[in-house]
Amino acid sequence: MKHFTKLLATAAVAVTTAFPAFADTTLTVHYPMPGFFKDVMDTISKKFMEENPDITIQFANPSATYEEGIQTIMRQAGTSEMPDLTFIGLNRLRMADERGIPVDMGPLIQNDQNSMAEQGFSDTILKLAQVNGKQVGLAFATSNPIMYYNADLVKQAGGNPDNPPKTWDEVIALGAKIKALGNGVDSIDFRWQGDDWMFSALLFGAGGTMLNEDESEVTFNGPEGQKAMEIIDRMVKEAGMPVFTKPAGEQAFVAGKVGFAFQTTGALRNTIKNVGEKFDLRTAEIPLIDPENGKLPTGGNAVVILTKDEAKQDAAWKFAKFAAGPYGASVVVPGTGYVPNNELAAKSPEYLGDFYKENPLFQAGLKQMPRMIPWYAFPGANGVRVTQAIVDNTSRVVDQSATPQEALDDAASEVKRLLPRK
Amino acid sequence: MAEVIASSSPSPVSVRAIPRSDADRHEARAAWMLAAPAILLTFLFIILPVCAVVTLGFTDFELGYSGFRFVGFENYAELLNDRTFKQSLWNTFIYAAIVAPVSIFLALGLAMLIEAEGIGRSFFRTAYFLPVASLIVAMATVWQYLFHPSIGPINALLALVGIEGPNWLGASSTVLYSLALIGIWQTVGFNLVLFLAGLTAIPRDLYSAAEVDGARSAWDRFRLVTWPMLGPTTLFVTTISVINAVKVFETVKTLTEGGPNKASEVLLFTIYQEGFVYLRVGYASAMTVVFLLILIVLMFVQYRIQDRQVHYT
Repeated sequence: MKHFTKLLATAAVAVTTAFPAFADTTLTVHYPMPGFFKDVMDTISKKFMEENPDITIQFANPSATYEEGIQTIMRQAGTSEMPDLTFIGLNRLRMADERGIPVDMGPLIQNDQNSMAEQGFSDTILKLAQVNGKQVGLAFATSNPIMYYNADLVKQAGGNPDNPPKTWDEVIALGAKIKALGNGVDSIDFRWQGDDWMFSALLFGAGGTMLNEDESEVTFNGPEGQKAMEIIDRMVKEAGMPVFTKPAGEQAFVAGKVGFAFQTTGALRNTIKNVGEKFDLRTAEIPLIDPENGKLPTGGNAVVILTKDEAKQDAAWKFAKFAAGPYGASVVVPGTGYVPNNELAAKSPEYLGDFYKENPLFQAGLKQMPRMIPWYAFPGANGVRVTQAIVDNTSRVVDQSATPQEALDDAASEVKRLLPRK
Repeated sequence: MAEVIASSSPSPVSVRAIPRSDADRHEARAAWMLAAPAILLTFLFIILPVCAVVTLGFTDFELGYSGFRFVGFENYAELLNDRTFKQSLWNTFIYAAIVAPVSIFLALGLAMLIEAEGIGRSFFRTAYFLPVASLIVAMATVWQYLFHPSIGPINALLALVGIEGPNWLGASSTVLYSLALIGIWQTVGFNLVLFLAGLTAIPRDLYSAAEVDGARSAWDRFRLVTWPMLGPTTLFVTTISVINAVKVFETVKTLTEGGPNKASEVLLFTIYQEGFVYLRVGYASAMTVVFLLILIVLMFVQYRIQDRQVHYT
């Protein structure tokens, strides 16, 4: 079936290239997760073509997930099938760069110095899509982890929904009270499954790091990591957090059976849709173990230029800037719940200024923007596998088959084995 | 289906006859030409990919890098010490050991019940076949809801009779059994239809003859007539069930992602992770070779053991 759709896609591409458009340049754009991004992409490309009549945008067959997206690109890299631009998950940029796939945007930015700042690309935002100082892309859709809560359950448990918990201690205490309501109600759904992003949220929130500066030593099992893992342990021990699979947690929360959910702000639009009128959904900033210096990992993706053809690169750069720029952000944010990756878009009433006033649920992610640092990507061939070692060991704490200390030590020794030897 | 297997038994047609006359040679050439498309396609889509996988298994190829190096048996040596791979082998074994026999015997029992009942036969046949015809990824989401620890109907029913339901897919102690349950649900219908076909093919007079010969009880008739006559069908059903159970993937990918802590990691899922998420195609190919070998050995053993006891009519 997959081969068939691929065949269709190549046939479609062949047909479109056989009848050249009247525009001077045609860019092929590939993107993942059509469920989130299809409408957004259509809107952005339409507007872009209106403003740049000499460039035509056509879309390659989108991939269902970030993983599938990057596989497709890697298979097509260096062949004529390779699209000119793609969108890659922020934690996969390093892997793509190690394989020499993205075009270095550094020189392009250099030529464009003035307009970059004007268009709201601050240094913090540029850093999100850098690998070892090399600009491999521009952050397109960015997210941070926030706290979702069920105001009805909080009220029933004696909490004040207008003044949500600010520390993990308060979350756990209120969670325990919500659990005590009975009737199949659970306290917390902490999205630890799938990847190391939410563990990073606790670790970075405590001021910790995954590895040391020169990436030779594992540091996530240090004091900050221990505090992070202990929070998860206490969610289970004190607040009775159950072992949810990812979809089970989502379902239980939107069904009104869970007090707090901690996950990406990118899921906000979908959560609002799924909750409907069932209960009073609210959001707030995620608590930080170290409220002073705590940081948060950035999820999402970046637009990456692939084409090595110089004439095309100019057009591709225009599109990348446009998609990641203030107009792009003003389409992505309301459509998904991601936070603006662009400072101009966030503040200017021309773009999103008014949107935030009218949609308070979206503000939690916005307020946390100054804390966002890149989602750490481990070096070497086993970079992705390392994250699985962390997830597996976190799950041992959640199902209480290991103490936080044991889980951290095991994770650290597994990760050490998987890192490249220096 | 019984016929399909019957035809694989030694037949008097000899294909290796040496052509002697012009007519013979002509016939042989025509035969080759007629078989050519099938041979070509088998070569292109079966032999060639298998060769490619075996070759890649000896390299360190990673998706995205242009070149690769031959590393001999390094991948296989790594497999021996790979905790995930061992766990996934063991989980696959447990899963198959539950799903294959249960789905075979359950299907046989149901088939005999349906066969014995005159009315509603086609209704039951259709009802049990529905899971086979449905899309397993879509059905997996339904199961995920049924198995939901707090809002799922199964645990709600259990709560009615005062039992606290387990955390089916969430707990590492139960996840594999929950998946096996879904696996059984999925395979029983298919096996049932095969057994039904096998049952209808048994001549009625054999039962009368057995009764005359002193097989009075239902069990005797089953033991002496039904079971031996179903031999070819059972062999086929067993083969298919075991292969399907070892090949479990969709439910794991959609429901558990191999978790928690690798408790539901199965072979195909591990191969998928290595090859397509970690992009280590060389290593994943080595795993695939092991996977293929396991299937081949299983089939070989099964045919050796069962073939001796199967009577083809």
